[in-house]
Amino acid sequence: MWDNRCKIAVSGVGFSRATRTAEIPLAAHALEAVKGAVEDSGLVMADIDGLATYPELPATGHSEVDGISIVSVNCMMAMLKLPNLTWHIQTGSVNIGGAVQQATNALLAGVCKYAVVWRAMHNPRGTYQNLPGTFAQGPLQFTAPYGFGGPGQHMAVAYTRWLEKNNQNREKMATLAVTQRKHGLKNPHSYFKVPLTREEYLSSRMVAYPFCLYDCDIPVQGAVAIVLTTADRARDLKPRPAYLAGYGQRLHFEVAGRIGSLSSYMDGGRSSAQLTWERSGFTPKDVDVAQIYDGFSASVLYGLESYGFCKEGEGLDFIQDGRMELDGELPLNTFGGSLSTGRIHGLWHIIEGVLQASGRAGERQVKDVNVSFVGASAPIVQGTTFIFVKEPY
Amino acid sequence: MSDWSKVTRPIPVPNEWTKPFWDAAKQRVLALQRCQSCGHFQHPPYPTCVNCMAIDLKFEPVEGKGSIYAYTIMYHTGDKRFASAVPYASIIVEIDAAPGALLAGNLLDAPYTEAKVGRRVEVTFQPLNEDFTLPQFRLAQ
Repeated sequence: MWDNRCKIAVSGVGFSRATRTAEIPLAAHALEAVKGAVEDSGLVMADIDGLATYPELPATGHSEVDGISIVSVNCMMAMLKLPNLTWHIQTGSVNIGGAVQQATNALLAGVCKYAVVWRAMHNPRGTYQNLPGTFAQGPLQFTAPYGFGGPGQHMAVAYTRWLEKNNQNREKMATLAVTQRKHGLKNPHSYFKVPLTREEYLSSRMVAYPFCLYDCDIPVQGAVAIVLTTADRARDLKPRPAYLAGYGQRLHFEVAGRIGSLSSYMDGGRSSAQLTWERSGFTPKDVDVAQIYDGFSASVLYGLESYGFCKEGEGLDFIQDGRMELDGELPLNTFGGSLSTGRIHGLWHIIEGVLQASGRAGERQVKDVNVSFVGASAPIVQGTTFIFVKEPY
Repeated sequence: MSDWSKVTRPIPVPNEWTKPFWDAAKQRVLALQRCQSCGHFQHPPYPTCVNCMAIDLKFEPVEGKGSIYAYTIMYHTGDKRFASAVPYASIIVEIDAAPGALLAGNLLDAPYTEAKVGRRVEVTFQPLNEDFTLPQFRLAQ
């Protein structure tokens, strides 16, 4: 077990408005979320001395303009002018979960006391995955000439392999989309405000087979943020803390541009989860509630299987029969997932893991939660995993 | 059958370690990067052998026979230049002679509904312009 388990906690969380298109600059969304998280903690801005984010725009063919399409650490420093700032970082090899892990490490090292992590996501005008223009450079030279676009298509090819290798039926995924939407209706920050029926899922238009419209998270403009601090400081703040029992990151990567390989997802997820189980001392059977990244629905299956909640090939069967309901065996994506909140990436999953562990999830609170698991991004798409607990041990 | 006649495909930009692939394709030859130390084939090409860390890599011709490893049927295209071809099959092919090397392509000369995991395919060559020819795939004869 990890010597530092439960020494770091998440305190406050914050949200900006989420809109379909940019009505205000992305920096204003990020500021709104960060202010919200600081206020929720019962802190003032001058207390914040650490900043971390993962600023990437996952769209293709659009420029990254700081404050408009991304919000970097530099942009946040310029906005906040923190008088007591002592530490900051931007992560790259893993997604926003990496920023949370780096903030954890900085707090353990004692180089800051209250760190804010935010994720701000822009929805560019026009086509999200716009591809490279006339010329396809780098890994794209082997995929773009054949009409392969962004991550959704990459995940779609892996999903056909998963479905046909396991003799499975994509219609079973309706359970995930419908149940997550039902959870999302209990989340005041959900982008979607109306139920989704099984029939609507099954008759919706195909995007990239086997993905239909409701297998894909809707691109939005929005931001979320959290405040991390040491456990002893967190106990003096306003909300009940969620203690970080362990974390892990993907230790596997296949060459960029090699797409369709299921092993990349499974090995990525297994490596991250194994670190998390070992560090926390828990096993999948101990988990009371789970958030698993769902930018595209199939990544939940790869997560369930590679993290060890079910056997390989059984993910679609696992989510049936009420198992992922709020009172089910493994309540799953209880905030509605990215499929309900829109494309904000994995910090939302971390926030929900925190709220469930600290008993602050309101109408969607799962009963008697102690162990709260988070797969903050798809196993290979920069995968990270976390366990938060209510009671330090 | 997908109509490719109005599609303008992005043009590959080779770099120092991918150029032999495109040079061979122009001669209607499928050539894949192979480690001269351990014999491992890899695609997409990479600066080093991802199996044994050797840097002595050469492109060798391989027989263009393989199986569909995975696929997607595209209905909504990010790249609007492909919009006139929807629905179309974008496939990933594992070449028999190079296990683990995964090539992207389209399924040509067959309805997109013929794309299935495990289906036998063979390479065919589709000229893109005077400089580039794309390795593509059709159902095995």
